[in-house]
Amino acid sequence: MSERENRLVRCFTSVFPWVAAEEIRNLSAESGDWDSLSAVTLSAVVQEEFGLDIDPHVLPTLDSYESFRAYVCQARLKDEELLG
Amino acid sequence: MKLIDAVDICRRAVREPAQELKVFLACGFTPLHLSTFLSAALRLLRPDDKIVVESGLFGDLAGNIIRAHDSAADSAVVAIEWSDLDPRLGIRTLGGWRPDAIGDIVYSATEAAARIEGGVRMLASRTPTVLCLPSLPLPPLFVTRPAQAGLLEMNLRKAVASVAASLSECSGVQVASPGLLSEMSPPGERYDVKSDVLSGFPYSLRHASAVGELFANLIHKPEPKKGLITDLDDTIWSGIVGEDGVDGISWSLERGHMHGLYQQFAAALAGAGVLIAVASKNDPAIVMRAFDRSDLLLSKEDVFPVETGWSRKSDSIQRILKAWNIGPDAVVFVDDSPMEVAEVKSAFPEMECLVFPKDDYKAIWDLLKHLRDVFGKPVVTGDDSIRLQSLRSAAGLKDTVGTDGHSVDHFLKECDARLVIERVEASDARAFELVNKTNQFNLNGKRIGEVEWRRMVGEPASLAFSVCYRDKYGPLGKVAVLLGRRTGRRCSVHAWVMSCRAFSRRIEHQCLKYLFESHGVDEIEFDYDSTARNGPLREFLAELSGRAPAPSMIVTKREFEARVPLLFHRIEARNYV
Repeated sequence: MSERENRLVRCFTSVFPWVAAEEIRNLSAESGDWDSLSAVTLSAVVQEEFGLDIDPHVLPTLDSYESFRAYVCQARLKDEELLG
Repeated sequence: MKLIDAVDICRRAVREPAQELKVFLACGFTPLHLSTFLSAALRLLRPDDKIVVESGLFGDLAGNIIRAHDSAADSAVVAIEWSDLDPRLGIRTLGGWRPDAIGDIVYSATEAAARIEGGVRMLASRTPTVLCLPSLPLPPLFVTRPAQAGLLEMNLRKAVASVAASLSECSGVQVASPGLLSEMSPPGERYDVKSDVLSGFPYSLRHASAVGELFANLIHKPEPKKGLITDLDDTIWSGIVGEDGVDGISWSLERGHMHGLYQQFAAALAGAGVLIAVASKNDPAIVMRAFDRSDLLLSKEDVFPVETGWSRKSDSIQRILKAWNIGPDAVVFVDDSPMEVAEVKSAFPEMECLVFPKDDYKAIWDLLKHLRDVFGKPVVTGDDSIRLQSLRSAAGLKDTVGTDGHSVDHFLKECDARLVIERVEASDARAFELVNKTNQFNLNGKRIGEVEWRRMVGEPASLAFSVCYRDKYGPLGKVAVLLGRRTGRRCSVHAWVMSCRAFSRRIEHQCLKYLFESHGVDEIEFDYDSTARNGPLREFLAELSGRAPAPSMIVTKREFEARVPLLFHRIEARNYV
């Protein structure tokens, strides 16, 4: 697992401490643990952790671990492109 | 603090059984991350407590202040933002910023500020309250360029400042320092417009962290330190008095101005009731001559005792602690020599020992700010100003009894001691302070929170009195507090404390005599518990009852009368039925 993904897992573990580590990657808005407060906290934690400014139009689509992982990876690729 | 760290801290398990600290966070915006940061900051300060932060409804600050009042919270926090004074001062409501509306906005905000003041007063009468003034920038609604503050903006700020000034002297209210908040959170980086629009939470994470930390710092009130022990050479003044002579030491702009600033600060502490003593390796005679200099800002009357000589600093400090009768954990030691600081620290690990950074202006500035933080108190009471005088008289008392061969009875009779016993009111800051900081003559060591204090004192059946003492050597001020409840012919005492300054005067006997005689009880039940430091109380109860003190022990009137020594005080009872 990459260092970036480790940090993402830590964000999820902080917000959902009651979810077992091996279940974190399966988390989504469909699971009972995901409510509006945890969604807002999660997005703030991820933005702070990765120095991101998530587009408000994208926020509703970030509804699972997998979608956050894809977003964070994409943001990294954009950074790398900008840096040349 | 980062949000992820705050979330982690909040989720840490508390070791049971834990005391619960319930805080009501009243704000008009959604409390979201501020609640998390506040909770985390409190957990760091009180790791053994279970922290519960409650909040109210979005957009209803006034209502939330009432909800805070009606809650059973131990503390309340009121965070005002401009939009709470008038929604048009925020950006979530599009109420119009035309120039002809601005006057009305300022007028309605002023009215709202006055209403909030009333609500906070009501809240603080029941619950200790921390108040934070609007910390976010005003939106660009005024016609002037941002660089210019116009009349309406200044009137708006004046209205808020006026409310804050009025509340700052209200018992039970602490106004969070805008100056310190600016140091912790630069004003230009506080507002998160996107978060305000999208979620109704207007603070940047950094600002929320700073506000939460400031609130926690005010809710968690550490006991102020009681005494400052200071070195002289290159600390109180610039130079070595033994080498440079009395006229060669200085504290002026030409040389050693920062030492003068330290003197001025120490004198201010003395005026606020902090004990100041000197521990200096010097010739006593030359030090006394130095203290005779009329331009010294710290006068010799401010200092007691002055320990000069050539023994180890820790020996001097041991004697000072004995004269003050306080523990090393309540004292700060300042000396310019790192070696002396290390020597004292090794002898008294509980004492805060600080190097006076004589050649570093900024570091001295920071030292003074730190000292203000550890010695700061909400108000200076009359008792603070006579503390040093009473210590001197206590030392005189010991000397007289010890050297003249007088019997204790004879001496106490000649003291012309007068006691004023009066009912304690909930607003009595000195009585509350005594109950919560006295260690040695303390019935059980239990600390009482402000909410519980108000409840205990306010109960109709409560017996709550304080004792003020004075004799021919001077006043000691308010020295004892007893809280109890009378049921039939029995009085149950829940809290009983007496300042160590008042030992050896038989005031404790007089307290019980007063209970037996003036309240017509036949027995007194003590909620006694042994602590590491309440030996003097333990010895008193053992002497009075003839047995080892135990929880819920009872002393009867007959036992008391059989063992009470002669009492010579003149008693005056006030506000008591």
